[in-house]
Amino acid sequence: MKPIVSAILFMAIVCAVPAAAHTPLCACYNNGDDTVTCEGGFSDGSSAAGVQMRVEDASGKMLIKGKMDANSEFNFKKPDGTYRVIFDAGEGHVIEIDGKDILE
Amino acid sequence: MTLDELKPGGWCQIKRISVRDRLGQRLMDMGLCPGLHLRVVRNAPLEDPMEVEIEGRFISLRHTEARFVEVEGHDQ
Amino acid sequence: MTNKKILVALAGQPNCGKSTVFNALTGASQHVANYPGVTVEKMSGSYRYNGRTVEVVDLPGTYSLTSYSPEERVSRDFILHEKPSLVVNVTDASNLKRSLYLTFQLLEMEIPLVLNLNMTDMAEQVGVVIDTEGIAEHLGVAVVPTSMKNGQGKKALFNAVAAAAEGGRKAAVRIDYGVMEPFLRDIEKRLADETTMPAFYPARWVAIKLMEGDGETRNLVRADSPRAEHLLRFTERLRGDFESRFNEAPELFIAHRRYREADDIERRYITPGRQAVGTLSDRIDRVVCHRLLGPIILVGVIWILYYLSIVQGYHITNYTWPLLAKIRSLAEAVTPQPGFIEIPMLRALVLWFVDSVNALLNYIPILFILFGLIAILEDSGYMPRMAFIMDRFFSRYGLHGQSTLPMVLGGIYVGGCAVPGVMACKGIPDERSRLATILIIPMLNCLAKVPLYVLLINIYFAAHKAWAMFFISTISLLIALPVSRILTLTILKDKETAPFVMEMPPYHLPTMRGVLGRATERVWLFIRKITTIVAAVAVVLFVLLQFPGINDERQVYYDAKKDKAIADFLSQIEGTPFADDLQGENLMAMILYWKEYKNARMLTKGPEAMSTLNATYKARNPVFFRIVQPGKDKVAKQANRAFKNLYRKRQDLLREIRKERIDNSFLGRLGRWPEPVTRFAGFNWRVNVALLSAFAAKESSVATLGALYEPEEEGEALEARMARGEAGFTSLHALTLMLFMVLYPPCLATSIAVKLQTGSVKWMLFSMAYPMALGLVVAVAVFSGGSALGLTGLQAMIAFYGLALALTVATGLLKEKERYS
Repeated sequence: MKPIVSAILFMAIVCAVPAAAHTPLCACYNNGDDTVTCEGGFSDGSSAAGVQMRVEDASGKMLIKGKMDANSEFNFKKPDGTYRVIFDAGEGHVIEIDGKDILE
Repeated sequence: MTLDELKPGGWCQIKRISVRDRLGQRLMDMGLCPGLHLRVVRNAPLEDPMEVEIEGRFISLRHTEARFVEVEGHDQ
Repeated sequence: MTNKKILVALAGQPNCGKSTVFNALTGASQHVANYPGVTVEKMSGSYRYNGRTVEVVDLPGTYSLTSYSPEERVSRDFILHEKPSLVVNVTDASNLKRSLYLTFQLLEMEIPLVLNLNMTDMAEQVGVVIDTEGIAEHLGVAVVPTSMKNGQGKKALFNAVAAAAEGGRKAAVRIDYGVMEPFLRDIEKRLADETTMPAFYPARWVAIKLMEGDGETRNLVRADSPRAEHLLRFTERLRGDFESRFNEAPELFIAHRRYREADDIERRYITPGRQAVGTLSDRIDRVVCHRLLGPIILVGVIWILYYLSIVQGYHITNYTWPLLAKIRSLAEAVTPQPGFIEIPMLRALVLWFVDSVNALLNYIPILFILFGLIAILEDSGYMPRMAFIMDRFFSRYGLHGQSTLPMVLGGIYVGGCAVPGVMACKGIPDERSRLATILIIPMLNCLAKVPLYVLLINIYFAAHKAWAMFFISTISLLIALPVSRILTLTILKDKETAPFVMEMPPYHLPTMRGVLGRATERVWLFIRKITTIVAAVAVVLFVLLQFPGINDERQVYYDAKKDKAIADFLSQIEGTPFADDLQGENLMAMILYWKEYKNARMLTKGPEAMSTLNATYKARNPVFFRIVQPGKDKVAKQANRAFKNLYRKRQDLLREIRKERIDNSFLGRLGRWPEPVTRFAGFNWRVNVALLSAFAAKESSVATLGALYEPEEEGEALEARMARGEAGFTSLHALTLMLFMVLYPPCLATSIAVKLQTGSVKWMLFSMAYPMALGLVVAVAVFSGGSALGLTGLQAMIAFYGLALALTVATGLLKEKERYS
């Protein structure tokens, strides 16, 4: 009996949580040594670890694919030419950053 | 003849409301009173509910409700 | 006498411009409450005129005053028991005849009445001419024509109200009910003899109501006299007598008489217009309710709704978020500063609290737009058309045509939000459908769950991404509909249903003021009632997650790691000019400086803003800044790298500590116990705890679950892991988890909204409990069933989808029991 009761209790507590109102956050910086670091997060304080990251060239071709690491960071080698970085946490939670806006 | 049997278009006159209690009261409250004339305007895209014009107002009701409005059609 | 407040009730049928009158009279002084015991809104406000304060209560718009709906009951109760000085009856001058149906009922309650002929501009437009003096004399009441929309007639209304309050004269007219009069007299006599009711209520009104068979009046009689049953039985006999003699149900006879009276007045005092008012609207409806175009337009309207509220709303949050972030920064600044791995309790509590509240406040732009759009839909008159188009489909599942908008808000194909969805259920007249709608909305596509689905799909269904997204977007509807049907057949079986009969009012251009006003009001309600409770619960959760905390032994372990990280760093910068500046406490100061800078940078956009930011931080501490932005300085770059390394280690440590703390906490321990049950759903205790952390601790659900389900990056072979006794997390697991999340109990904000809408804690608890049960059952069935049959995630997905579809079709074809004999 106990496992069922605690299953119910467990879910009761789990459900007593506000929905995460995610405004996605992402900013990228040129490290000056040919690498770029992107940091991400969500407005409710959740980290963005695990969120898919993509780097595309001007024509939309995917150059680099990866994920935000456990510290909500994504490091990659800066591509030549124009590029875009995409933080993709699903519909409504996507951020696109143009390479030329990525400063030191 | 009852209202649910009518097709859109013609005017007819309400003869009697054959249901009482909540539905009967509601039909009357909404203006479907014996003696008045109404016109079936249209059916919904899914056939039900239907819309009628009566005394300058437009009322919609389900066919299962219109069943209790006895009418006498003029040009049916 | 002159200083007493005057209480005025505003009564009228829907679509007479009553709220415009209310707004014009009371302006900014309005407030909304609830009538005790019911979920009907009570709008009240006040104004001052000629030195007296007048309080105005806007009664709900009703077509009649029976006791069948809570709105009508509440209106009657107010007039009978709150004893307003007078009633202002707002009517539509362009169609006075139908408004009079209610007027007569108000007059029968024997309360001073001012007849307000509103919308005179419309009447003029169609050529209706009313002999107001004639009517005033005939009915024995003051008649005030107004066009409140244009501000005309306001002063006359103020005067009429003041005069009526002084005069207190009751109307002269009384409807002659012809052959029913002897019956009414008999009842009145009995009332006088056997009850004390005539002292409290107008006797004739009670008699009429009893002849109508009115339930609430019967209750009043019961409450009044011990011999009530005797009287009531007598009344029933009279009703039966009447019907057999005159071949018409008494209540219908009475309604009929009222219409005849209204007809009479029209013939005598009203010159009809050239055309009916509604012809333009009818022409619009030819398109809007068209067989083909109607549904297309509906889809279009829904799409615009989503686009403006969710897509654009999210854009706006990008601007409002920085404001909330500033609040958080402020909290960070004023609470005790953290150490390398030590976080003071107060600081943790405050930040947790701020995060929880910010999460909800962040929704406000979206909610504001949503509520505004809903108000536009309501005011324009399009809502009844939505119900008209969709009713047949929804009523098959025990829902109502007016469930359309709430469900759209909850999220049909794209993500929505259950909170406004539940709040939009207010308008559904049928108790049973209303409850059913409220109970299934939380199951629809919640926007906040999307990142979780996307994560799992990217890992486990990457090859079939499009299909998987389609599945998850539509499955919620396929579950919600059958569930609704089952609920209405079982738990909700005995709830009151209401007739659908509904007016399709003329289309009407919403006013900016009305729309903004209502949107603001509803957002404020959200903040006041929902955010407050969530904040309180957040504190409780904090306690459950913090304690008992890390034990001493482990603390030593972490301290050792901390010391090593710091030592490593210091050795790396030894010999550089920075070595002295970062000793001891300064190191911590540097860490906080770096964190602040990063946070600020995340919110800064554009080169100018960036250079301003840099200038500020450089001025604050040039040494620290050199490390943060080393430029070409090779030594500084080295320090920068070493520092980033240290910072990363700190983050890792903090995360580890946090995780361990949660695992140890009361909440975490809770995750272990249900394992024997959840195991069948594929959730071992680590998953349970991860779920807890993911949802309760807001530790990125995306991350925690990702880490749990993702094959190890280090290339540890699946076999090796299974050999270690860990079940492989397969696509079947992912599917189970996704389904569980679809059915997941509503978030706290939604649960509170449910309580507000249903007015009952019981239903709130049920709305939380049954999805739990359903979720667990489905998860267990899918996982155990899928495993037993050796299905892959994709196959199980297809199988489940087929089942859900079949169930939806089947329940939709179930015949509904005859509602009316």
